[in-house]
Amino acid sequence: KLLFLCSAKRLFIFVCSFAVPKSVDGELCLITGAGGVLGRLFALEFAKEGARLVLWDCDTVANERTAQMARKQGVEVRAYTVDLSKRQSVYDAAEKVRAEVGDVSILVNNAGVVAGRRLLECPDELLERTLLVNCHALFWTTKAFLPQMKVRNHGHIVTVASALGLDFTLLQDYCASKFGAVGFHESLAHELRVENNDGIKTTLVCPYIVDTGMFSGCEIRKEIRKLIPPLEPLYTVQRSMKAILADQEMICGDICSIFILEEFWNTLAIHYVLIPDFLHAFHIETLDGSELTLPGQAVESLWSDWASRILGFPTASPIGSCSFLPAKASCEKAVW
Amino acid sequence: MMMIIAEFFVVILKVLWAFVTAGARWVVRPKEKSVAGQVCVITGAGSGLGRLFAKEFARRRAVLVLWDINSQSNEETAEMVRQIYHETETPIAKDGPVGGVEEVPAFQPQVYTYVCDVGKRESVYSTAEKVRREVGEVDILINNAGVVSGHHLLECPDELIERTMVVNCHAHFWTTKAFLPKMLELNHGHIVTVASSLGLFSTAGVEDYCASKFGAIGFHESLSHEIKASEKDGINMTLVCPYLVNTGMFKGCRIRKEIEPFLPPLSPDFCVKQAMRAILTDQPMVCTPRIIYMVNFMKSILPFEAIVCMYRFLGADKCMYPFLAQRKEAMNNNEAKNGI
Repeated sequence: KLLFLCSAKRLFIFVCSFAVPKSVDGELCLITGAGGVLGRLFALEFAKEGARLVLWDCDTVANERTAQMARKQGVEVRAYTVDLSKRQSVYDAAEKVRAEVGDVSILVNNAGVVAGRRLLECPDELLERTLLVNCHALFWTTKAFLPQMKVRNHGHIVTVASALGLDFTLLQDYCASKFGAVGFHESLAHELRVENNDGIKTTLVCPYIVDTGMFSGCEIRKEIRKLIPPLEPLYTVQRSMKAILADQEMICGDICSIFILEEFWNTLAIHYVLIPDFLHAFHIETLDGSELTLPGQAVESLWSDWASRILGFPTASPIGSCSFLPAKASCEKAVW
Repeated sequence: MMMIIAEFFVVILKVLWAFVTAGARWVVRPKEKSVAGQVCVITGAGSGLGRLFAKEFARRRAVLVLWDINSQSNEETAEMVRQIYHETETPIAKDGPVGGVEEVPAFQPQVYTYVCDVGKRESVYSTAEKVRREVGEVDILINNAGVVSGHHLLECPDELIERTMVVNCHAHFWTTKAFLPKMLELNHGHIVTVASSLGLFSTAGVEDYCASKFGAIGFHESLSHEIKASEKDGINMTLVCPYLVNTGMFKGCRIRKEIEPFLPPLSPDFCVKQAMRAILTDQPMVCTPRIIYMVNFMKSILPFEAIVCMYRFLGADKCMYPFLAQRKEAMNNNEAKNGI
């Protein structure tokens, strides 16, 4: 009975809120990773809605470009260069934002990186960087901006994780960090509920593979490719905006509401014996042009197998020939 | 096009078969593999689950390598292990057969202790080097070390958040990188990740712990895929997700009193015994108690509001609050004692 009531209530809210999306006109919205593809689109979408923007990215040039494009929409935009892997950098930038612009009411944790190597070949600095930027940074940005949101009991925290935070595939560092982001977000959402901070909403965005170049080289089996192509970035962002403005807690990329079902399969089937794959070989194109054909995998559940096959293998680092660059240097070249 | 449809059907059949074989496991328990003589590394062996794992492996005559940041508790565990080795020595010469067949003395396992801060990459690598030199190649790796900060997010000092994340999550990367290459070469090994049910679903008040345990699980699953892809079937992985265990780490955590008899905190012995069974039968994942599987399933299909409702009903949303309050009080008491 309780469940039914909750679900009914939820459905009601769901339906209602889609009818009247909330307005963010005049709200201050902070987007991390705003120089990248998704970040830029988020900035433009929020600008369309009339929100004031604060853009963070480690790449100054891309960040400025986003700022210019957003200013054309007629909103106030400030751009800051911040290295999210460093705690102090985040706090300093947050201080500046508070002093120069005001209190942030919408926080979009979008920045993400991936090392793009097999675990045993990946230099530790890149592994750490993925974890720091994708997962630790969430703690710092939340600690920086949540207190003010709580005081005013008004705010919205958006975590752009990934379908790889629900399912798992071969990128250990990215998976671990995105799982961590999902875990953090959920725990935060629960905490906000317990403390009865109803004015602060949370949204978890878990897109399936988005065609931004971050995972370029991911290939899926030819026959499936038509059915489940990589998502268009614009579509992803528009869908996410709809969810954010409707205060929806979680949104997966369209076709990968399958991932929710997949968790169901995973839990039932996860400790069951393996299925040899039927999506057998798939190719990686390494950056020097040679091709590797890898043998198929045996995995645990049908859906999870399918999904991870769909994601395929990543190429060696999408940022080109930086093989052993320390974290800082690779940031300049990265076009996350 | 036909190929893929045909293959799809084959897969469906195989899925159903997988269910059948899994069900059969419940009826006919698979034989537990022997770990006698194998080298087993346990991180966080000084206390709690780590100590019990050490004792269980000692009973099965494995060679133990104990890592912990606290050398005193590590040594205590080593003492207990030596005791068990002594007790389980099979008395060989007692009733030998008539005819004087040569008796080979039983293999004498040993325990080695190292002080290692698994949160620090260099510490892990240098200790791993030492282990390789002094003990040999590692067969079983148990990533058990875990900490929790014990503060609400906004009151938690950043160093503690980072410590939780590096010890619970990053450390797995380093230990795996240290020991996996050799396992791949020998095509023999077993990696156990001791996560937590808080890595499958979360609750309020433990953001850092949840994030780190989710991350550990993500890493584990991803690594399983990688190993399966490399077709090294000699390497197994097991994920252990216990519900709240009574080791003192989360002392004070409690759910609603009426529900508590049905879902009490686990006794560490029970938890470790279940985990050992899973490890020794090469089971990919084990949750204790079994109802956690159900909770995980419900979490993934219910809308968030429903989950919040259920949590409120079970008292699970506030279950960490007494634990956090207790931690705070202990800290204040400490400060008062030290005259701060």
